[in-house]
Amino acid sequence: MSYSPAVDIKGLKKKYGTTKALRGVNLQVKKGEILGFLGPNGAGKTTTIRCLLDLIRPDAGQIRILGRAPRKDSLAIRRRTGYLPGELNLEGNLTVNAALRYFYNLRGLQGDWKYVQYLAKCLDLDMSARIKNLSKGNKQKVGLVQALMSKPELLLLDEPTSGLDPLRQQVVYRLLKEAQKEGATIFFSSHIISEVEAIADRVAIIRRGLIVEEAQPGELANMALRRFRVRFCGPVDIGPLSRLPGVKLINRESEFDATVQVEGEVNSFIKALAAYEVSDIQSEHLSLEEVFLAYYKDGKEE
Amino acid sequence: MLAEYRHMLYRLRWQITGWAAGVVLYSLLMIFFYPNMADMSDMKEYLNMFPETMLAFFKNITVINTPMGYIDVYFFSYMQVIIGIFAVSAGSGLIAADEEKGILDLVLAQPVSRSALYFGRLAGIATALFIILAAGWLSWVLPAGSTGFALSPLQLLQAFLSLFAILLFFTAFAVFFSMILPAARMAAMLAGALLAGNYLLLGLANIYDGLQAAAKLTPLYYYQGGMAVIELNTAWLAGLLASFLLLVFAAWLLFLNRDIRVGGEGSWNLKIIK
Repeated sequence: MSYSPAVDIKGLKKKYGTTKALRGVNLQVKKGEILGFLGPNGAGKTTTIRCLLDLIRPDAGQIRILGRAPRKDSLAIRRRTGYLPGELNLEGNLTVNAALRYFYNLRGLQGDWKYVQYLAKCLDLDMSARIKNLSKGNKQKVGLVQALMSKPELLLLDEPTSGLDPLRQQVVYRLLKEAQKEGATIFFSSHIISEVEAIADRVAIIRRGLIVEEAQPGELANMALRRFRVRFCGPVDIGPLSRLPGVKLINRESEFDATVQVEGEVNSFIKALAAYEVSDIQSEHLSLEEVFLAYYKDGKEE
Repeated sequence: MLAEYRHMLYRLRWQITGWAAGVVLYSLLMIFFYPNMADMSDMKEYLNMFPETMLAFFKNITVINTPMGYIDVYFFSYMQVIIGIFAVSAGSGLIAADEEKGILDLVLAQPVSRSALYFGRLAGIATALFIILAAGWLSWVLPAGSTGFALSPLQLLQAFLSLFAILLFFTAFAVFFSMILPAARMAAMLAGALLAGNYLLLGLANIYDGLQAAAKLTPLYYYQGGMAVIELNTAWLAGLLASFLLLVFAAWLLFLNRDIRVGGEGSWNLKIIK
């Protein structure tokens, strides 16, 4: 893995009217690295990616993509980059085959159509179907094939597995790992922690237009929040439970029921719970939005 | 640019077919009807019964039984408005329609420059207009001999060139509006309204001399239509084409220097109407 960055962002700022979408983003993605770009909706993930491709122009800051400036060398960058937008829209009247041919021709690709067919086969994509008749997941597959078809050096993927079933999500992870093995750098946004944990080498977290955390995926486990709904066999005092580090009582529905939130590892909570007579327990992973709300609301942000 | 040009023509294929078929059918109907009109010796007396203002509005109606008058009244006097609908609609959607649908993001993420995209698509629309008009021209030229329609292919070409130039102008007008207005539909509406308004103004200027000065400031004044079969005013033609190029250039600069909107974006943020 080379240490010269494939993506180098310094002090990136972007405003939409009075809304500050990016407030000084600083971020580097090393060549050959898979970087997960996490953040809740509206945090600035898509704006950052669109700046990288010169689709929108930043108000301030510097960007270097594969050693070049997007504004000046946009075409050269896009020739070496594959992109999947977060809100994928395609021409409805085209067949999958015609849509992919169009992108293939725009890229000026020659003789590599077999790779397109291979990708379509991996993702179980029907090439003869009309785009307008496709489900969201199948449209996403078209977007993924067009992003990967040129075997680009850099992949900018905005929520790549959005709308895909778990089986196809695994296929996408495999294809991305394959691309990485061939030397590609992958910069992908997501708001699914488990997805980032599965494939990213490193994680950057953006919130309200600023990078608030850069971490290893393993460290996300410490950030992860789980919520447990516990039903006890009889009335209990759960004071000792809620006083455990990282454990917070969310709701006490009755003397028998309690909802608690556990931040980080759950081992000590489970061990403490073993001291009680429990009739039922339900666990749920919180969405990234909920994690952010819980994690940053106590002055930890920025 | 070539890929975008080809794709634009592919996207417009049904519109080209429909518009060309309509123009061909109408042209054939008119040219085969021409011998009846030419034979109507009492046409002048019949026209004298019309109100003067109406005769003035349709300038060449008094010579309707001549080939020039006939093609001007029945074809060139309103084809700029009819085919103008296609021109304005295609022009306003050149970039903005795909932008509003959120399609443009993905297209511009490919190694195609904004300039190549813009000019490739514009060339596609210009070609579509050319095909529609070429089909119309052939529909007048081919049966001309058998119907006694005494205008040469070159004379007809001059009139079609004049029509082509004004249609290109309104295409560019719509493209320009689509770059400064927040929605393609608004651009189409405004360009269409100006086209229709200009048409009415010219008709009224034929009735009221006081409107002539204003009419001279409008593009349709420099559209010769059927009159071009006598002599093509090359200065007017060049003026229209130069204006077309100017608008194309201005719209191109605007496109080069602005953000690409995401799907669904685009409205005026007028606090007063909130």
